[in-house]
Amino acid sequence: MTAKRTMTLNLTDAEMRVLDELSVRKDITKTAVLRQALRLYQTIDARVEKGEKLLFENEATKEKAELMLL
Amino acid sequence: MTVDVSTIYLLDVATGESVEAELRDAIEQAQLDDWQTKWQPALLAVLQELARKGVPMSQWPQSWHWNWAQKTARVQGLLAFRGFSVVARGETQGLAQVNLTKASREPSQVGKPLVYLDYLEVAPWNRPELGAAPRLRGVGSALITAATVLSIDEGFKGRLGLHSLPQADAFYRKIGMTDLGQDPAYQNLRYFEMTLEQARAFLEEE
Repeated sequence: MTAKRTMTLNLTDAEMRVLDELSVRKDITKTAVLRQALRLYQTIDARVEKGEKLLFENEATKEKAELMLL
Repeated sequence: MTVDVSTIYLLDVATGESVEAELRDAIEQAQLDDWQTKWQPALLAVLQELARKGVPMSQWPQSWHWNWAQKTARVQGLLAFRGFSVVARGETQGLAQVNLTKASREPSQVGKPLVYLDYLEVAPWNRPELGAAPRLRGVGSALITAATVLSIDEGFKGRLGLHSLPQADAFYRKIGMTDLGQDPAYQNLRYFEMTLEQARAFLEEE
């Protein structure tokens, strides 16, 4: 397994609550939630940097909405 | 990047003896060189034979057009993707690439993260469906095991998903994965998933 380093993370109550909820709902540890968030953020950022757009499609209505990343 | 290397054992089909091999948690230039200079000529010879016999392209090994150099370059530096390779007798025997950003579909674990096996390919000389007797057995299982162990290490509890090429459907059923049927959004390939319990049983078997 790849060696890991430890860091301290300061979160607000609201952020901590979301982290807790995601951890329970996704059945992964809080560390795993944050690692997953980092992977997704990097993947999306790399594609947006290449000029691609991030779109969400409603399966029922086929309506598309673009998520703007600043 | 540091590459983790584990020792695994494959089976020499001709002699019945076990063969020491390396499971590496990366696909490096040496593997891409093997793919280019060893796998490609071996596969080309098989395809030429199939063409000579008049076998339609629809029945050719479905991974014949895979380009590992492109697949690896496309995900270079991205945390969401990981590669594995099996090396034995000085040459690459199998390659796999996984994606860590996908979610489960199986009803008992729907929406939970899993390791999705994007691509898995075994060297042409180890594939019985290509005509000749395979040299080494156990390469595909070793790569599935590596993906399952990664799922556990990442906290995904062994959850694993993949779309199977038709020639491999029976293999994924044999190792206990749930067949969730054809996926119209993915070339109608069958989608298979491994649950926590199935992962545990699979790893005990291995």
